[in-house]
Amino acid sequence: MSRERLRAAGVLARRQLKELLLSPGPYVALAIGLALGWILCSGFARAIDSSGFDPRLDAAWDLVTRACSGAFGPVFVERMLSEGPFLLVVVACAAPLVLLLVISSVVRMGTDRTSGALELVASGPADGTSWFLGSFARDAVVSAAGLALIALYCVVLAAARNLAVGPMAAAAIPVLFLLSMALSAFAVLCSVLVTNAGGALALFAAVCALLLAALAGSLGAQVSSFRTGARAASTLIQWVSPFFYAELCAQGYGGGSALQYGAGLVLLAALTAAALGVAHLVLRRRGVRP
Amino acid sequence: MIRTRGLVKKYGAFTAVDGIDLNIEPGEIYGFLGPNGAGKTTTILMMLGITRPTAGEIQLFGERFTPDRLDLRRRIGMVPEKHPRGSWQWMTAQEYLEMFAALFRVPRAAARIRFLLEKVELHAVRNRRIGTFSHGMLQKLSISRALLHDPDVLFLDEPISGLDPLGIKQTRDLLVSENRAGRAIFISSHQLSEMERLCHRVAIISRGKLLAEAAMSRLLSRMGSGREIHVELESVPADLPLALGALPAIQGVRVLANGIAVRVPADGDHRKTVSGFLVQRGLVPLRIEVVTPTLEDAFITITQESVAGLAAQAGAAPGHGETRT
Repeated sequence: MSRERLRAAGVLARRQLKELLLSPGPYVALAIGLALGWILCSGFARAIDSSGFDPRLDAAWDLVTRACSGAFGPVFVERMLSEGPFLLVVVACAAPLVLLLVISSVVRMGTDRTSGALELVASGPADGTSWFLGSFARDAVVSAAGLALIALYCVVLAAARNLAVGPMAAAAIPVLFLLSMALSAFAVLCSVLVTNAGGALALFAAVCALLLAALAGSLGAQVSSFRTGARAASTLIQWVSPFFYAELCAQGYGGGSALQYGAGLVLLAALTAAALGVAHLVLRRRGVRP
Repeated sequence: MIRTRGLVKKYGAFTAVDGIDLNIEPGEIYGFLGPNGAGKTTTILMMLGITRPTAGEIQLFGERFTPDRLDLRRRIGMVPEKHPRGSWQWMTAQEYLEMFAALFRVPRAAARIRFLLEKVELHAVRNRRIGTFSHGMLQKLSISRALLHDPDVLFLDEPISGLDPLGIKQTRDLLVSENRAGRAIFISSHQLSEMERLCHRVAIISRGKLLAEAAMSRLLSRMGSGREIHVELESVPADLPLALGALPAIQGVRVLANGIAVRVPADGDHRKTVSGFLVQRGLVPLRIEVVTPTLEDAFITITQESVAGLAAQAGAAPGHGETRT
């Protein structure tokens, strides 16, 4: 990776970051995430009675636990809630922001390619790789800042409700960061493979749906026909799924294996690098012109 | 300064550019002409490293150029036909130029940006968002962006397309002043009258092939090293072109909608000879006008000759008739 390319990526990242921060998108996404976190945290306090936490006592928790249990199995839900509500709160807070970042990356790359902006930048000391690295760096900065804010918010929520955040939620922060980076890299790859922004977005959604189905399959879904198909698919595609490596981290943390947790993080980073590497090779071969 | 040798670009079975050899010298304004779909933009994209050639070689500043040579790209300025307004419409003109100054690592960027904005008369609107700019303003901004890093050569794709007469004049003056400062300029355009005024040398391509590359004066001399006398007549007898063509000093005759065009040498006044002959034949010249061949004439003649040549080749090809029937 040339120094010139990285420097150009830094310049483009700063401009894209400014563009994102001038738009209402990240603030709306973060507000939605924080509101979801607040609803879950308040509901958790309401769902505790003399026998402990009972999700059926709160409508929001009842819905969430039923949905997660149906898709990923009761063991997954038990592990999520083993240290209180904050693991789920962190995920709920971060999800809208991560979704916004990956969608904006895909759409931006597609529109810049079709409008000729990418071509214009590529006629100078930058290239298509600098362009998507800039977009990726922007996602990394916003994700890191967003997760730091979410962590602080959880501490405040916990103090207000007299609850403990728990080490599991803290351990989930780096996993969520690397997971969002991997998704961002997948978004870049999709937008390189399909020139049209709408098509790239559809491809990204399809890939995510497939990877989530594989995760559901590996965790053991409740519906038998779905489980069989998903399990077969998961065996094949789990190795290219960031969700699989995030789950590996969760299993490592749950089993007390720091090595497995660390390996999961490293593999998530490696998968991200691999997706960006493939995007670079494809763009180098195809060129930036739509 | 820039050389291409046997440049080829194929998209599947379709050959967009077919063995083009160009040679752009330092300090010249080089016009790149061709009808729509001739392969002009594809050639430019290859020369800029945006598209990889299927075959052939490009040399920039004496070195072999590949798309990975970011160092050579730094010495080129590019003005595309359409400014990609959508992506950067939220930026002000100042911010837009600052971004490219940072990309190109322009020393003393603030001063350079101010100088260029003043030069293209956009300094007063430097803090306006470029989404609100007119086509002419965007074109000026685009040219100042291309000049920001002081490139050795400037590529412009249809730089005056869609501009009003004042915008065309401003762009022309700007390009001439940049060229006088020693910058080579490569222009692709359909505005032949402007190209004739601006360019020192031109190349004409059609269907991906280079048809001509010459100095402007030499290209115009291919039109018969002379001029044409256009004579307006009430009617043109069928045998008139042949009879007139037999006169000494007449290089050629063609029939126009309202008369004839007689090609004569540039030296001397041949109007008397032509009008005298017509009067002898009982014809009354209603109007006589001496026309010097233009780049447009050269362009049309050369591209039509190419089309006619291709048609003749296709007609002579064995089995062609059977295929068509």
